[in-house]
Amino acid sequence: MTGDGLLVVETDRFHGPLDLLLHLIRTQDIDIFDIPIARITRQFLEAIEVLADTSVDEAGEFLEMAAVLVRIKARMLLPAPAGEEDHDPRADLVHRLLEYEMIREVAARLRAAEDDRGRRFEKGFVQPRPRPGAAEVPLEVTWEDLWAAALRVEAPVDRNLDHRVAARRVALREKVGLIVETVRRTRRIDFASLVAPWRERIHGVMTLLAGLELGRRRVVSLRQREHFSPLWFYGGRNLDDGFGEMVPGVAPGADEVVGRGVSASGAQTDTLGVDEGAP
Amino acid sequence: MNDARIVEAILFASDAPLSPGEIARADESLDEDRVEAALASLKAEYDDAGHAFELREVADGVQLMTRPEFAPYLERFDTVPRSSRLSGPALEALAIVAYRQPISRIEVEYVRGVNSTGVIRTLVERELIAGVGRGEGVGRPVLYGTTLKFMEHFGFPSMEHLPRPEELPVILRERAPLAARPEAPDEEGQGDETPALDDEAALAAVLAHADQRPESPE
Repeated sequence: MTGDGLLVVETDRFHGPLDLLLHLIRTQDIDIFDIPIARITRQFLEAIEVLADTSVDEAGEFLEMAAVLVRIKARMLLPAPAGEEDHDPRADLVHRLLEYEMIREVAARLRAAEDDRGRRFEKGFVQPRPRPGAAEVPLEVTWEDLWAAALRVEAPVDRNLDHRVAARRVALREKVGLIVETVRRTRRIDFASLVAPWRERIHGVMTLLAGLELGRRRVVSLRQREHFSPLWFYGGRNLDDGFGEMVPGVAPGADEVVGRGVSASGAQTDTLGVDEGAP
Repeated sequence: MNDARIVEAILFASDAPLSPGEIARADESLDEDRVEAALASLKAEYDDAGHAFELREVADGVQLMTRPEFAPYLERFDTVPRSSRLSGPALEALAIVAYRQPISRIEVEYVRGVNSTGVIRTLVERELIAGVGRGEGVGRPVLYGTTLKFMEHFGFPSMEHLPRPEELPVILRERAPLAARPEAPDEEGQGDETPALDDEAALAAVLAHADQRPESPE
């Protein structure tokens, strides 16, 4: 819009009334310490006329400034109140304008610093090449493997996590007898079946130790197709050599023997030569 | 191990400014003075050898950064979001906070002449300013100050490197000279003898007596 024919003011461009006022003053080479209030006020009002249609908040700030200008003009027309004879009614406004102008200059310096900083790059700016994630590793198991593994999963047995040192409550001999007798009858047996009747881990440990010792002595042979697949016991070369009598036919929980090699049918134990304390 | 090489290793591995004190933690033999000496020798070394990076003092610390002439090449890799430029109003508000801290939002608004709620919120969200205390008065308003990130954003070595008011072209003068001037009504008002006007009448009078002689803006 045109002011007095020379001034083209777009209020959108201004950050506020002080900005607009400063623009009016600076573009017309007006001495900021001797502002022609009437002229500036008129130009200011003309410039903000368009704002009436726009945001009320924004217009309000410009209108407030217009009121300040008008009040200053009125004060200048009136005799100064007693005691304020040498106070220029424009002084506060001039102070604000100069202060604002300084801030605007600082903002310009900040902008220059920001632009300069924007041309310098610190570590981490160039993005790293995407690394192969775990998802890209080819899956080496089949669905059947996965399903079989899932079927083997059992609910965890409640166990006491305290570590207690105690004598074994399960005799190795007992497990030796169980394995030998079972293999004699069924030709082969899997480890899981051998430990199935008992819940306690010690039975699994002792059964495995017994199986390993029997394997070493070729009483049984141990077979497992691959890691983590079922462990099978088959009859070995020495299966029928003098182990028949030792099968106690124990039931779970019965005849638990505490300690090493304590047994009524000791002959076989000696023959076997297994020290329970030395796996 | 050479002090300068130790310091270099730490600077190389860091993506944020480090103060000499922080760098000195690397070895018992280091203290701030030795780190400063090592930094000076590294700085000279990089400058003499014409490396693409240089040692910059930023935010009370030092950081390795590429030299500005390499910006066009690096900007092609602009996939990591960088802090964007601030808007004009945000810069104004930030300038006010920087010079007047600690300062309340109301005071910022007075200096700018406009509502600054949104701008202040943006600056707080971008961590360029932060509440540093509570002012006296009604509602105990939050007082804002600039942060370390403010210095990082603008690449200022320290707050002392802000442009000083006396370096600025506009000098905020004392009011005394102005107030001491003889009461000089501006030219448009000279013939106006009308007494006692309310604001509305004053406005009419002002407009009626406005200067009819357009002055050249140049």
